[in-house]
Amino acid sequence: MENEQKELTVLLVENEPGDQKLIKIALLNQNEKVKLKIVSSGEAAWDYLRMCMTDSHWYPKPGLILLDLGMPGMGGKEFLKQIKADENLCSIPVIIVTTSDIETDIEECYAMHAAGYIQKSATPQEFNDIIQKMAHYWFSTSTLNSRV
Amino acid sequence: MNIYKAVTIMLVEDDPGDQKLIKTSLNSQRITNTPVVASSAEEALAYLEKGKTDGSISMPDLILLDLNMPGLGGREFLRLIKSDPQLETIPVVILTTSESDKDILESFRLQAAGYIKKPVALADFQEIMQTLSDYWFTVCKRITHEPNKQDTKCFTC
Repeated sequence: MENEQKELTVLLVENEPGDQKLIKIALLNQNEKVKLKIVSSGEAAWDYLRMCMTDSHWYPKPGLILLDLGMPGMGGKEFLKQIKADENLCSIPVIIVTTSDIETDIEECYAMHAAGYIQKSATPQEFNDIIQKMAHYWFSTSTLNSRV
Repeated sequence: MNIYKAVTIMLVEDDPGDQKLIKTSLNSQRITNTPVVASSAEEALAYLEKGKTDGSISMPDLILLDLNMPGLGGREFLRLIKSDPQLETIPVVILTTSESDKDILESFRLQAAGYIKKPVALADFQEIMQTLSDYWFTVCKRITHEPNKQDTKCFTC
């Protein structure tokens, strides 16, 4: 029972190059039609989303956002708060991918309507497995609203 | 991978046939608690309201919500849950026959945590429940909803 695989843009907001690479490999292994856009900060993510509004060819609107919490500058929580307050962007599911397992972080992110909270695993293999499971849920089971 | 701990799923669904298919599919997962089934949005809200103050009521960790039901309906239920500070952290996944773009967009705007088109066959329901359980109960960190306690805990901790 799999939805037909369509091209899908995912925006990864992550400042750690090693984690960027691991997530990229796991996502592309799960679905080769994923178009991954990587930015290293909350500010750069906003720049990308602003460009989506004016140039959707080169800056396609993401169907899903993967968001690190601990980044220099605008952190993940502030980015999440702002995107969920934006009428044009609030429908994009945002999944937190972080090292933090602090209970208040988890609760706060769900209260700001995160569509999942994933803790980065200790080993690359475990991390690869959880990213692939996440991708299977979002790409093959749930319908995303990127086409709307 | 983690073994699921006791999790409670609430199913808000008015069709008895779909209720049965979903319950059967959930039974094949590693979920120990029996799903809470509500046949309408009103019934589900009454349960959740009671759970806010009654510690003996098991609050859901995940809600599976049909959109098209008589009465209040799924969209209004979702809007109410996501604007209630005591309930907004519960992920709500839409499970519906509707493939309308309008329904998909509206559901995500109302902060649904997934939009799943109901399949027809039991095997497909089981596959969907497997993926859904894997994502929400092994991949994602969750919080428990204990109305009488200030602290929360993770499932997978």
